Amino acid sequence: MTCSVGRGFGFYAAWVAVVVLACATSLQAADTSLRDVIDKHVADQQAKQKVSPASPATDAQFMRRLYLDLVGTIPTHDDAKAFIDDKSTDKRAKLIDRLLDDPRYAQHQTDVWDMVWFGRNPPGYDADKRPGFHKWLAEQFNKNTPYDRIVSAMLKAEGNTAEHGAPYYLVQYRNKPQDAAQAVAQRFLGVQLQCARCHDHPYEPWKQVDFYGMAAFYTRLSTVEVGKMGQEKKVMIGEQSVGEINFTGPAAEDGPGKKGVPIKPKFLATKALDEPTPGKDVKPIKFASGKAPPKPAFSRKDALADWVTARDNPYFARAAANRIWAQFMGRGIVDPVDDMSKDNKPSHPELLDALTQQFVAHNFDMKWYVRELCNSKTYQAGIAGDAEHATPKWYERAKVKPLSAEQLSAAWRVAVSYHKVDSKLKERLDKGEWSYPLTSGYVLRFFGKPSNGEGHFQGGLHEHLFLNNGGLSKLFSRNKGGLYHTMLESKEPWEQKVDRLFLSILSRYPDDAERAHFVKYLSADERPDDRVREAMWALMTCSEFRFNH
Amino acid sequence: MQPQCPTHEHVSRRALLKGTLAAGTGGALLNWGNLFNSQAHAATAAKKTKHCILLWMNGGASQFETFDMKVGADTGGPFREIKTNLPGIHICETMPKMAKMMDKITVIRSMHTSQIDHPGGIHLMHTAYSQAANIQFPEIGAVMAKYLGNDESPLPQFVKISSQGNTGSGFLGPKYQPFSLNHSGKLPPFSSNSVDAERDDRRHALRGFLEEKYAEKHKAVTSKMHRAANDSARKLLGQRKAFEIENEWPKYRDLYGDSLFGRRCLMARKLVQSGVAFVEVGQSGYDTHADNFQGHKGLLPPMDHAWAGLLTDLASQGLLENTLVVWMGEIGRTPRINNRAGRDHYVRAWSTALAGCGVKAGYVHGRTDERGLDVAEDEVTEGDFFATVYQALGINPGQENFAGVRPVPIAPFGSKAVKEILA
Repeated sequence: MTCSVGRGFGFYAAWVAVVVLACATSLQAADTSLRDVIDKHVADQQAKQKVSPASPATDAQFMRRLYLDLVGTIPTHDDAKAFIDDKSTDKRAKLIDRLLDDPRYAQHQTDVWDMVWFGRNPPGYDADKRPGFHKWLAEQFNKNTPYDRIVSAMLKAEGNTAEHGAPYYLVQYRNKPQDAAQAVAQRFLGVQLQCARCHDHPYEPWKQVDFYGMAAFYTRLSTVEVGKMGQEKKVMIGEQSVGEINFTGPAAEDGPGKKGVPIKPKFLATKALDEPTPGKDVKPIKFASGKAPPKPAFSRKDALADWVTARDNPYFARAAANRIWAQFMGRGIVDPVDDMSKDNKPSHPELLDALTQQFVAHNFDMKWYVRELCNSKTYQAGIAGDAEHATPKWYERAKVKPLSAEQLSAAWRVAVSYHKVDSKLKERLDKGEWSYPLTSGYVLRFFGKPSNGEGHFQGGLHEHLFLNNGGLSKLFSRNKGGLYHTMLESKEPWEQKVDRLFLSILSRYPDDAERAHFVKYLSADERPDDRVREAMWALMTCSEFRFNH
Repeated sequence: MQPQCPTHEHVSRRALLKGTLAAGTGGALLNWGNLFNSQAHAATAAKKTKHCILLWMNGGASQFETFDMKVGADTGGPFREIKTNLPGIHICETMPKMAKMMDKITVIRSMHTSQIDHPGGIHLMHTAYSQAANIQFPEIGAVMAKYLGNDESPLPQFVKISSQGNTGSGFLGPKYQPFSLNHSGKLPPFSSNSVDAERDDRRHALRGFLEEKYAEKHKAVTSKMHRAANDSARKLLGQRKAFEIENEWPKYRDLYGDSLFGRRCLMARKLVQSGVAFVEVGQSGYDTHADNFQGHKGLLPPMDHAWAGLLTDLASQGLLENTLVVWMGEIGRTPRINNRAGRDHYVRAWSTALAGCGVKAGYVHGRTDERGLDVAEDEVTEGDFFATVYQALGINPGQENFAGVRPVPIAPFGSKAVKEILA
């Protein structure tokens, strides 16, 4: 892109500042923040499509959505009340800043991205539990390491899994260069190569040899176990200096004994890798377990990592800008986010260009990008409207997404003030028991799917059997400080107690009809114990709680 | 078989669909719409009381030790073959009961499929498609639940008993998700009320009040799905009796054989009789890379007993003519016997079987060469196999559903039902 200088002297200072910060940005960016660019493009498309946007989200709606998206849980009763009752006009922007600096931000973003890169059931043997990866990734989000550097570390895979975390990514594809190439293209570049694995892609420019050209970058890799750190294996990625991948032609014509021709590494059908030719006498070596494998004479894996994460890679920044957008807005401008093919057109092409350019200009700064997204009117849209799609294409109202297994566990704990009733909670969470006090096997089974990290809802009746028939009973503690105890012991009038119930669980005040209905329900028996428990259950299992909207 | 549709039809259908999308519904809703509009659904797909039971041999049963013996060949293995009640047809001695039922079934000896590993094979033989990163294909049970299922039934229409499969209802949506029973055919955890009926009603009424308030402002399809699933869960609790076989088991124990698999098969019959469209019954352990023969000797006799019992029972209850019983695993096993007396994965030539609704009784389709290396005659691919199964139940294999905006036929484009197999 070019920077126009023909807009008058008044812009000069701003222009210089931008050029100094990031020379690839545009003049427009200097006087218009990204949040306004977003809202303008979205409003223009809505006008063109003749859809009317919902009125803005209420403070309570915005707050709950932001908490779930940034820190993966709901606000406490006190936090919710304080925010809703706060009269200052800049409170939304301030809350965004505060939650971006909250330590739970790093934890929740780790959960989200871990699902994108591994899913619930990663393919390899040594990646099904990956505490080292989680720890490493949370540190990156905490430090706000730029996105391109996070990805580069994963693809270069230096060090070992337990201590350095990042190598886990390639370890999951051990001995499967084709799978690794397919995953890297899809997750980091938004390019779907899998059709080209067995035959030339019917609609896209990818040939089968292009697929093998990508797989060639990973064909020299293997995994080497170098020890243990506690229970966790230390696994390293070893890379040979020689070795080629053989292409045998279309899978349909494949047969036993067919050897094929070696294919050289090629960056996604663009250019071949320029690599030194290994000497004639260089042979593959055996990587002994327990010892760090030696570096290869030339690393193909590193060459691919550099190409993938380069600022001028035509796919990388665009795929990331789109994916992060989808994480917060509910749907990608290209949707599904992993399929940026020419048949799958962006809904707002110019906006996607602007997001991509700005994300690069800000050096892949995720917190900056997320701050802009969350401050936009688009993110802060209300929920009313006739659109039935969970994530409407023109963003005329907010997304509706199910809470993940992790979000639900955390939100239920906050709702009942579980931290006040169980002194073991912190210790258990620190040990990685994220669903405590609920059994993770059940929570995963009933709420852990689908696992593509995109938050599509695939509920079924099993989750209701769990919710209705005792699955949540561990949360209803009568210990002091918990919501159940407070509701039973408080001398407040029922009206106030109902407000407390709603603020604690749904993060909002009840309206008059709800307040009256609940007061009547709760005060009907001499001993309110059963009814309080039932009311808590109803609020903790209803759609309003189940979804982020 | 669907005639191949010309490109312009695809284009116009897509254009139409895009119009629908712009109107603000969404691809998913097109498939899931009947959650909320059963009348329209009834008009488009007339309900038939047909059923399907899938006997799933997880790990991949050996064709050499079941229906396609190669006695005397180097690939043959140690078992003897026995005569069946179909003249000239022999099967393995491990299946004496089914030998007497061969006049009731169709055996396909010429399967040639494309996925040789377990996850890929399990996906393929449950969906007719290879795994794709961007599409969640529905399993056969979900497809059957959609096209054979009864919307009025309080029972889930897709039930799995101790079986596999990795995508559930996929893009067909939550209504057709499998409901899973445990390995002995019992209901899963959390299937009985934790509070008494009166309290349960009143708390659900309170929750219903919240749901109604929410629905006034929130039109998204997701919360409708959430409510519908809760209703199904509550209805199911009233149907616990449909899942109890303890009282009947002594009477049927000899017919099905005293095994867990036998109990699961009786449960399948009972569920079909209660109106469930599709029941999948699993038996695990066939992945015999070592000790293939010992493995099959242990696994096959109880399976043989239960399968024969199921067919006999279905026939005597008048259910077999409306129920298709499918027998398969995800892969076959290698002709070569490895150095651990095992057989590995093989998909170039293997066997499956069908019985009941819509298929021939007493028929063997296809042939492999004398060592069982390749199909010699009448090859059946996974697509053709699924097309045959759907066709046998009166479901058009070219029937399309939508994954986003992409139309996906229930059997892959170009598949053909095998005419010779259909009754």
